[in-house]
Amino acid sequence: MSSLTPSRGLLLSLLLLTTRAFADVVPPEVVSRFEATLPADAPPPNHDHVLLEFTVSAEGRAGDVLVIESAGAQWDKASIDALLKWQFKPALHDGTPVASRTRLSFNMPVQLMVKPDAGPPPEPGDGGVAPPAIVPSDEADAGHPHHDYATTVLGRSQPKSRGSADFTIDVGALQAVPHKSAADFLKLAPGILLTNEGGEGHPERIFLRGFDAREGQDLELTVDGVPVNDSGNLHGNGYADLNFIIPELVENLRVLEGPLDPRQGNYAVAGSADYQLGLPERGLTVKGSYGSFDTMRLVGLWGPPGESSRTFGGVQLFRTSGFGQNREAQNAKVMGQYEGRLSDSTSFRLGALGYGTMFKSAGVLRVDDVKNGQLGFYDTSDARQGGDALRAQVHFDLHGHTGDFSHDQAVFLIYRSTRMLENFTGFLHDVQLAQQSPHEQRGDLFDRDTSTFTVGARGAARWRTKLLGRNQDLEIGYFGRFDAVRGTQTRLLAGSNTPYARDLDLDSKLTDVGAYVDLNLSPAWWLTLRGGLRGEMLTYDVLDLCAQKEVRRPSTTSPPGDESCLSQRDLGLYRDPSERNSTSGGALMPRGTLLLGPFQNVTFSGAAGTGVRSIDPQFISENLKAPFASIFSWEGGASWQQHTDAWDANARAVVFGTRVDKDLVFSAQDGRGLIGGSTSRLGGLVTARVRGTFYDLAGNVTYVQSKFDDTNLLVPYVPDLVARLDASVFHALPWLEPLGSPLKGRAGLGVTSVGRRALPYGQRSDVIFTIDASAEVAWRQFSVGLSATNLLDTQYKQVELNYASDFHTSGSLPSLVPARHFAAGAPRMVLVTLAVHLGGEP
Amino acid sequence: MKTLFPLLFVALLGACIPTTGGNLVTFHAQASGDPALVNGGPLTFTTPRGFEVTLTRARVTVGALYLNQQNPQNYSLEQSCIQDGIYSGEVRGGLTIDALSPTPQPFPVEGNGTDGPTRAAELWLTGGDLLADTDKTVVLDVAGTATSPTDGPFPFDARFTISGNRVIPPRNPALPGSNPLCRQRIVSPIAFDTRLAEGSTVSLLVDPRAWFVSVDFTDLPKVSDTPLLYRFTDDSSSSAQADKALFTALRNAAGPYRLELTTP
Repeated sequence: MSSLTPSRGLLLSLLLLTTRAFADVVPPEVVSRFEATLPADAPPPNHDHVLLEFTVSAEGRAGDVLVIESAGAQWDKASIDALLKWQFKPALHDGTPVASRTRLSFNMPVQLMVKPDAGPPPEPGDGGVAPPAIVPSDEADAGHPHHDYATTVLGRSQPKSRGSADFTIDVGALQAVPHKSAADFLKLAPGILLTNEGGEGHPERIFLRGFDAREGQDLELTVDGVPVNDSGNLHGNGYADLNFIIPELVENLRVLEGPLDPRQGNYAVAGSADYQLGLPERGLTVKGSYGSFDTMRLVGLWGPPGESSRTFGGVQLFRTSGFGQNREAQNAKVMGQYEGRLSDSTSFRLGALGYGTMFKSAGVLRVDDVKNGQLGFYDTSDARQGGDALRAQVHFDLHGHTGDFSHDQAVFLIYRSTRMLENFTGFLHDVQLAQQSPHEQRGDLFDRDTSTFTVGARGAARWRTKLLGRNQDLEIGYFGRFDAVRGTQTRLLAGSNTPYARDLDLDSKLTDVGAYVDLNLSPAWWLTLRGGLRGEMLTYDVLDLCAQKEVRRPSTTSPPGDESCLSQRDLGLYRDPSERNSTSGGALMPRGTLLLGPFQNVTFSGAAGTGVRSIDPQFISENLKAPFASIFSWEGGASWQQHTDAWDANARAVVFGTRVDKDLVFSAQDGRGLIGGSTSRLGGLVTARVRGTFYDLAGNVTYVQSKFDDTNLLVPYVPDLVARLDASVFHALPWLEPLGSPLKGRAGLGVTSVGRRALPYGQRSDVIFTIDASAEVAWRQFSVGLSATNLLDTQYKQVELNYASDFHTSGSLPSLVPARHFAAGAPRMVLVTLAVHLGGEP
Repeated sequence: MKTLFPLLFVALLGACIPTTGGNLVTFHAQASGDPALVNGGPLTFTTPRGFEVTLTRARVTVGALYLNQQNPQNYSLEQSCIQDGIYSGEVRGGLTIDALSPTPQPFPVEGNGTDGPTRAAELWLTGGDLLADTDKTVVLDVAGTATSPTDGPFPFDARFTISGNRVIPPRNPALPGSNPLCRQRIVSPIAFDTRLAEGSTVSLLVDPRAWFVSVDFTDLPKVSDTPLLYRFTDDSSSSAQADKALFTALRNAAGPYRLELTTP
């Protein structure tokens, strides 16, 4: 085998790429080429070129290579080997890097071609008078074909940036940083803290820029546009469980911190996050992990070669005994999606997923119980806590474009079921009512069960025109969803788990319809105005099957008071225990962004907008008429980005403020957020990311203060300082090439630091500082990795609360005043992962 | 002066650091007879009914002391003994108070609570478990002699418990949960308008005279001639006025008990 330089080896020519889809699509460009190796013992090429079709990812790497026209197996392989080493500048769609599918031909040296009237071909590398010539296509002789191909932009058009608080995060090499769940990727956006007091299958509690978004109640979460927030969930309206996502299938993430884009709908109080799924690595990957606390994870992933990264399948099986008491969990996930084309101008995606989990939860502990040795740090006060969850979903979307017009349509169908057993207070809530038989405190284990069937659609149409010599866009869109929700909350008797009281029994029909218009105006190269108006209308039809809990005029013939949901006769008039309430409300929400620049790679931005959060159906049942909490948010900042052949870098600095008129404040007594007063936030953040050929570094720091408007006191539980560092390095290990194949190394590091969070009664939590790390070595199709979370094995409290509880742990006299509680963060956990990758690119 | 400025700076800095409001505090708790009345020896006083009483023993057992940030709800329908969310302080440890002694007798445990407003207090007259069906703890233990201008001396004693002997059947059979026994064990609301502070001391002052305000000692059954002794009946089913009056007074939040806060 001999190595050939571009001038002497295979003829390489990147064909002229044109675009038909959009005038503003910039096709991928070659940044660096690798020399191809001429096959030593190959028979002469049987065709004058090898035509390859492949995907240039948003990161500029070639993949999903298909041979369209072959010159023989060894020539094809040599061409593909070379192509996979190339670096591209990715295609740009509206200035955003996107994956694209394109073609490239490797022209064979004519000297090596077998001609019918020729003798034996010269040996490769034969230094004769006329060595094999490699000529770019525009210099090619008349005998070589010249191809014109369209660049097909894959995926959907990305929303245009809404300023410095709009983060489109390409996970990329930061996949190497240990991520236990898809929610963990949120931490790549600044100011986000995730905690979890509910166990392995419980969604993460999300804190973002001074908001306690609970399990997503203040953060609109979507996966490829399909909503994740559960409307009407009794655990919290807008409860969002991201655990159904297989983390390896997260390709990138858009986090918009604040309601600044007309596309954002209900729950976008602190902002929104949209996960975009994909599997860049084609072929079949099987992973098995085993580690601390008998944790086992099996993952299978596949992406058919030749299809886009948005065509994939994945399955995950997981179980763990959990650290400490009562933390065992198991789950199974399947996800699949196919992206195809109906025509040159229309593509579609069809996907389905299923998810099921059962888990136990240690819940929260009283600090004094741990201090006096009655409980260990990782113990539980009530081993009945835990839950289960199901999700089944199908979704279908279409994307089409014709000239200056494009459109998207999507429909989704979701079934969700969640059950959560939580006990925050022990034995406090069970009030003895006069109508009830005398009883002791029977325990505060809440059993919340919600089943939701959701059907919905979203769509948008965009029109572009040239004005003032620049592109100007108009988009109109809609979003609609219908939710049929059945939710019950019962309390279970300590010891036997017998339901002894029903607090809630709601049968709700909820609709949410939003429509928006969005303009993108650019009167000058340095000035861009984006924004528009969104209208949102929500309707509630709530049948409260347990509306009557007390008997106004009790008598021996009026029903027995030990029942929870009571019918009664009041002065001879029968009163049914159920009650129906319905209401609706609408809101108009202007949102706009002003962008100035870029001036020497720096763009300045300012944005403002209003948003809404629908309220919990149980409050509708209580005849609360206001259907919304309203939010006003603003931000100003500067973004800098620079691209060179060696590195990509960007940095931002943002100041922001938000006001919410009816904020949710967590109530441990109720185990959920309750509507509180109005709150305001003021803060700032800085973030930066640098990516090179062997490293990827990202870091951010956010500081914010959240206060109640009337008292100027801090909003409890919200962290004011959050800092995060993610780092990854990856490179072939020097001097190590067993059997001629290099060993490739990859390592990741994630560092989280959270300041002392404000707690009720003037208290402050402890500081959280954790380090997660991983290392992986890959050789040919095989890899072995080691990952450790909480590397320093810090014993820390991920959740700290301050409220009254009585778990009967310190004598028979109840504790009735606020005391410190916590949920333990996980100790060091180590996982060893073995993986094999088959098929896909050679 | 050199140390004053740094301290002032720290204080100002602290004042600027926002909080969620309020504080958790720990406090000491103690009890005694009212020092203005008792000196450790027998206490002699005259009741409104004209009895001159000399108390030689006056002990009350308080199982726990709770402070309320708001007055408990009216108990006409909600019969819960524990009302979630109204508590600002607690001393979860029992003490048998010698009400004839002016010497502060500390509760066995420190109290804890919040520095928000406190409006009232509750005394739990129990040996430990407020909700227990049976509690043989003697919560009131008194002895002495009562005399009146018209009637002879009434040497007496009383040892009250609050157990099955104090159950009051519900008046309305449709309200079986009314009048739970735990209600009999709680003395509430005792006026106590204050704010707890870290390191402060809550003093419970007992005026044993108030237990006998309405007692008609002539109604007491004689249990012994030699020595002469009258005894209060430890049962709410007793029809004797004296028994009812003493038990009612024991649970009277307005009379025998007073709370004071001393800040460090």
